[in-house]
Amino acid sequence: MKLIAKFLRSTVVGPLVALLLVAAVVSLATPRFFQAQNLSNISLQVATVAVVSIGATLVILTGGIDLSPGSTVALVTCTLAILVKNYGLPLPVGIALVLLLGIVCGFINGFFSTYGKIPSFIVTLATMSIYRGLAFLITNGTPIFSISPQLDPLFYGKLLGIPLPFYYVIGLYIVGTVFLRNTIPGRGIYAVGGNESAARLTGIRVNRTRLMAFVLAGLSAAIGGVLLAAWLDSGSPNYGANLGLQSIAAAVIGGASLMGGVGNMIATLVGALIVAVVQNGLNLLAVPASWQDITLGSVIVLAVGVDMWRSSIGYAFSRLFRRTRAK
Amino acid sequence: MEMIVNRSGDRRPIPPQKPSWEIKEISKAFPGVQALDCVSMEIFPGEVHGLIGENGSGKSTLAKCLAGVHQPESGEVFFQNKPIVFHNPMEAKIAGVATIYQEFSLVATLTVAENIFLGRYPRTSSGMIDWEAVHEGTCQVLDQLSLNIDSGAVVKGLSVAEQQLVEIAKAISIESNLLIMDEPTAALGVVESRHLMELIRRLTKSGKAIIYISHRLDEVLEIADRVTILKDGKWVATLPITELKMKDVVRMMIGVDIEEHYPKEMNAQPAVCLEVKNLSTDNDVRNVSFTVNVGEVFGLAGMLGSGRTEIARAIYGLDKITAGSIHLYGRPVKFQSPSDAVTAGVGMVPENRTADGCLFNFEAPQNITLSRLKELLRGPFLSLAFERKVGEDYVRRMNIPAGALEKSVRFLSGGNQQKVIIARWLFSQARLLIMDEPTQGIDIGAKLEVYKVINELTANGISVILISSDFPELLAMSDRVAVVRDGRILQITKGQRMTEYQLIGIASGMGSNAEAES
Repeated sequence: MKLIAKFLRSTVVGPLVALLLVAAVVSLATPRFFQAQNLSNISLQVATVAVVSIGATLVILTGGIDLSPGSTVALVTCTLAILVKNYGLPLPVGIALVLLLGIVCGFINGFFSTYGKIPSFIVTLATMSIYRGLAFLITNGTPIFSISPQLDPLFYGKLLGIPLPFYYVIGLYIVGTVFLRNTIPGRGIYAVGGNESAARLTGIRVNRTRLMAFVLAGLSAAIGGVLLAAWLDSGSPNYGANLGLQSIAAAVIGGASLMGGVGNMIATLVGALIVAVVQNGLNLLAVPASWQDITLGSVIVLAVGVDMWRSSIGYAFSRLFRRTRAK
Repeated sequence: MEMIVNRSGDRRPIPPQKPSWEIKEISKAFPGVQALDCVSMEIFPGEVHGLIGENGSGKSTLAKCLAGVHQPESGEVFFQNKPIVFHNPMEAKIAGVATIYQEFSLVATLTVAENIFLGRYPRTSSGMIDWEAVHEGTCQVLDQLSLNIDSGAVVKGLSVAEQQLVEIAKAISIESNLLIMDEPTAALGVVESRHLMELIRRLTKSGKAIIYISHRLDEVLEIADRVTILKDGKWVATLPITELKMKDVVRMMIGVDIEEHYPKEMNAQPAVCLEVKNLSTDNDVRNVSFTVNVGEVFGLAGMLGSGRTEIARAIYGLDKITAGSIHLYGRPVKFQSPSDAVTAGVGMVPENRTADGCLFNFEAPQNITLSRLKELLRGPFLSLAFERKVGEDYVRRMNIPAGALEKSVRFLSGGNQQKVIIARWLFSQARLLIMDEPTQGIDIGAKLEVYKVINELTANGISVILISSDFPELLAMSDRVAVVRDGRILQITKGQRMTEYQLIGIASGMGSNAEAES
């Protein structure tokens, strides 16, 4: 009983249960869900969101919010296209440079949100427009196709029969999890989000930590941008329009608190998967687009609800089997 | 007719009357803890009923049940012999129960006036809020408390003491027959506490009953007519004040006999730990100079707002230094932030442990290791297993409930939370520890443990700067005491050479010529 209660209290359970429920419902509705090809499609579709959600999780954990990753992604795809196609730079160099661009975008977000003392919501709301505007500027508003033949295998290649993006996502999430759980800066992120003034008094450099979270978010958006460019072999100022909100939704469904200090990487991945599985299911069932938004919104609320209520569910469960003893 | 006389000499008749409020066998449980177990109590009109017990004994929970915040699982409450149930705090207020909460129930971003009338703003005939009436009512009640603040001042900008007085004002301004006060003097200095005692006497004359919950046993024994003692959620005793002695009370609370004097060990060494010279900051510290020796407890005494905490902030790197110097173990230091101070071996136990001390998203081990995470590194990574072991070590050493290892420290009592914060600085091997009101709002058992820890620290050559509004505690536990007023140090004396009376005299500006009281 004690083990079950402890499991129920762990933070991944809520979203995991929701994911299993959703997957069960969809696979009952259509046998095509559990086919290898379909699962492969899901992992391709979720890759970009999943990678960008890593950055979203880090920022949300510090108590901030980042609305701009979608625009960073657009800017990254356009810049990569221009550098490689128009200026003929080798692909690895282009990728390295746009990753640097992502870091700079994150740094700007972080600088004004910390030392600049402007709330991150406002800063990233502004950069959401500014970065996408820059993307429009450098491309004159038109997408650039066929960036490079070397780009395609980065996304569509397979290792042991499994698409490469699957490995990218798993690998990055492992790095992210280890960073948060087992490194000093990672612990600092949880501390700053949990109680900023207490964290400051224990000697943690609060501004530096929050700035770092934004820089890493910029980097993860850039990696997402490279993935997107490889998926579509093109760069466009219109790409990634929903990524900001989707990444925040993934983190929140995964149990991250917008107040900061609560949440973890694996749970965010589960959150991103829930959204992807629901969308996939609706597509397989040829549900009209109008229903897709309604279903998606309901799923988000339900998933967060299960997460919020699980501690009361766990407590009720333990009371049924155990008399509560006096302290 | 029987008369009862409480310590302050008031004579109050106990007429053979019925109690106005009756609590019968109330029980309340929270996940993992039975906070109240079949507790019964009677309250008579015009009585001051003290409610005491250790942290975790159920005092605040009982108060919150009466205030409508919690709904008990079993038991009944009677008002004037009629059963009554409160589903929410508003119902309790309507029935005439006003509450002053230990943690305050103020909205920081609203003004004093807006807070006092929160939820019951008087309306004009057109249905809009009558701000004139609000302002008038606020000034009236602030006058009653002799509180000199602007009714339009935003609560966030007030000192903790002023906020506590606003919280009290809020409760007094409600029409009530039962006033529950939970630690009303926790943040108040001696002068304000005196005012409050007088106010309580005035209020009871009109038949208002008061439940007075406090860790300051001397206050309770002074003002209460009868006292109820709770332990571990159970009722222990209800006795009239005349039948109570401090020693018995404490024994009933913690089940153990204690000595009445403070357990101070003299561990000060001649070597100098901290040297502060002509220090001034942009936060009202004016030309302060003092030294702290290795193994010494250096007390900072003063009234509220005297600048004690500001001196601590200056040393800890929180405020900008405009003049003067600080030397730590002979080396000049310039801390730009607490991070620098912590690296140099300084630590701080802050005044407000929930706002600035504990991280509620962490359990005890993570709260303890936070200042010295490097110690947990095995290769490039933190060892969570080692962290767990560190947590177990300190939990055992400092008598913290084992549940703290797995649950957020939010669920610990105030005293245990404080021990976790102190454990943090033990683990970080701080050489100088600033403790700002370390025993505020915690029970005697935990206080004794804090004193024990202070002795342990000084025995190991660690110095302590102790800020406390509990003057007997400060004088007893400090090797030397500096009296602070208006950001300046007036004098520095050996702790044992000064009486509380003299200290108050100097700190409040009545001069050191005040006669000593034995």
